[in-house]
Amino acid sequence: MLLVRDSMVREVLTVSPETTAAEALTLCREKRIRHLPVLEGGRMVGLISDRDLRASTPALGDANRAAALDKIRVGDEMAREISTADPDDPIEQAAMAMHERKIGCLPVVEGEDLVGILTTSDVMAALVRLVGAHEPGSRLEIAFPDRPGSLADVAGIVRDQGVNIVSVLSAPGEYDGGSGSVAVIRLATINPTGVVRSLEGAGFPVLWPPSTPGGPGQGL
Amino acid sequence: MSGRSVFVHDPGLEAYGFGGEHPFNPLRVRMAIELCEGLGLMEGYSFLAPKPATDDDLMTVHSLSYIRSVQKAGHDEAPLSELLQYCIGTQDNPVFSKMHEACALVVGGTIEACRLVMGGEAEHALCVSGGLHHALRSKASGFCVYNDAGAAIARLKEEHPGIRIAYVDTDAHHGDGVQWMFYDDPDVLTFSMHESGRYLFPGTGGVEEKGRNGGVGYSLNVPLQPFTQDASFIECFEETLPEALRRFGPDLILSQNGCDAHALDPLTHLSTTTRVYEHVPRRIHELAHELCGGRWVAVGGGGYDIWRVVPRAWAALWATVSHQELPETMPGAWLAKWGRQSPVALPDLTRDIAANYPPIGRAAQVEERNRKTIAEFKRKVLPLLA
Repeated sequence: MLLVRDSMVREVLTVSPETTAAEALTLCREKRIRHLPVLEGGRMVGLISDRDLRASTPALGDANRAAALDKIRVGDEMAREISTADPDDPIEQAAMAMHERKIGCLPVVEGEDLVGILTTSDVMAALVRLVGAHEPGSRLEIAFPDRPGSLADVAGIVRDQGVNIVSVLSAPGEYDGGSGSVAVIRLATINPTGVVRSLEGAGFPVLWPPSTPGGPGQGL
Repeated sequence: MSGRSVFVHDPGLEAYGFGGEHPFNPLRVRMAIELCEGLGLMEGYSFLAPKPATDDDLMTVHSLSYIRSVQKAGHDEAPLSELLQYCIGTQDNPVFSKMHEACALVVGGTIEACRLVMGGEAEHALCVSGGLHHALRSKASGFCVYNDAGAAIARLKEEHPGIRIAYVDTDAHHGDGVQWMFYDDPDVLTFSMHESGRYLFPGTGGVEEKGRNGGVGYSLNVPLQPFTQDASFIECFEETLPEALRRFGPDLILSQNGCDAHALDPLTHLSTTTRVYEHVPRRIHELAHELCGGRWVAVGGGGYDIWRVVPRAWAALWATVSHQELPETMPGAWLAKWGRQSPVALPDLTRDIAANYPPIGRAAQVEERNRKTIAEFKRKVLPLLA
């Protein structure tokens, strides 16, 4: 499924407001992570990122750096207003929240409990599954009018060619000044020529792959 | 450079095909072999018939449940619903009679070729029916049912502990099946040069696919822009493969010589000519002598212009494998026989005429993009090879 709970990381590394900047940065480096939820008495009270910590400490090479790193506490630098996700949020809703607020992670909260964390790389992994990029296939982009039944017509043409669809995504308003949609379809075939011919014959432009240099999909 | 060369072939291998209008037509092997004969390239050579691969051979890289289903499929003993789980019975990989027997013989051919070379009975060996590089552990894919190169490599590793094998794949499609089978393995270098997965099946084969765990740095990919022509193809090949092979230091080179990067191929968008199909084998041959005592096994692969491209590409391949000059003109008897069946006019020279393949309008951009790919390859992947 494509809910936050299916893509989040469940083993969340956390720190407390009393953790020093030095300890938190070491944890980030060793575990190769960038965000740490901050817990106090089991309850999430903030979020700290390696960037926040670096921004608040003297630069590398500065003689005061080590002392400052030991003195600064996570509680001093953490963000307290945190966007969170619910495990049952659709992944696309979480992605939209991260994109609009320009943030790299969402702690996942169920009731009072921190149950997971979702970062941009988890969303990327979900995208890979969503487009079926890990399965062998041929990628086509097809334009079709934004009206009931046209995607079914496209799928029917693929079916009539006896080809399985690995994945399908469709983006509204991407074609012809917004009047049409573009579907990205991954087909389980090494030989999409029959499908392409039938689609174009039925009036569905195949935008990708380009058939000639400078032909459709000339943007390559 | 004059050791013994062996052509592994048996008419039984020509049973591997899917029938009807399917693009993978075994006639291409028949035409290639008759062209070798017609050009006089088989004088003093005979065909060595392989034995079929055993279940144990196949199980080095395939699951037993998959093998059993392929066996049943070819005798009409399995329901389509079971076969579709393994991507058999699809448009790409339709069921055909005795398909297990035909596929197992292909695997046996490539295993035999490798054993002859590794055992010293031959210096080089060719099995044009091999090269089914898309087959996965439990899945048929892209016209490939069993992965002959994968099984042959796995067998060589068992029979020669510590052996280092370089697999070099210049088919227009990414050699994904072989890559994934040895993705963790630092003793098997997989190198694939192909049309970028953005445009072509199977979609994988980016520069960043470089191996996993202990195998990081031992999977190499050079994805090319569509409409890449000879000069850029050869430049990319020369800028990446020789250095990679020298760093790796193979004991044997196994090359997959699919010829579907040709401009006439109906399934891909690359635009090379027969020049590439002489250059690639010639250089692999030289590198085998430079690096591993000449131990080189070549197999076929894709190639779907079966009339004008495949026979000439693979005759040129055999000429190199067997240290013979490729004659310039096509044999009249061959042209007469196949010309009657061919839907297209057959070329009367063994080599394409460059003037018939002028640079495309966007050649400079294609070349530039390919150079970026080479630069990325040299920066990110090549240094990982010790």
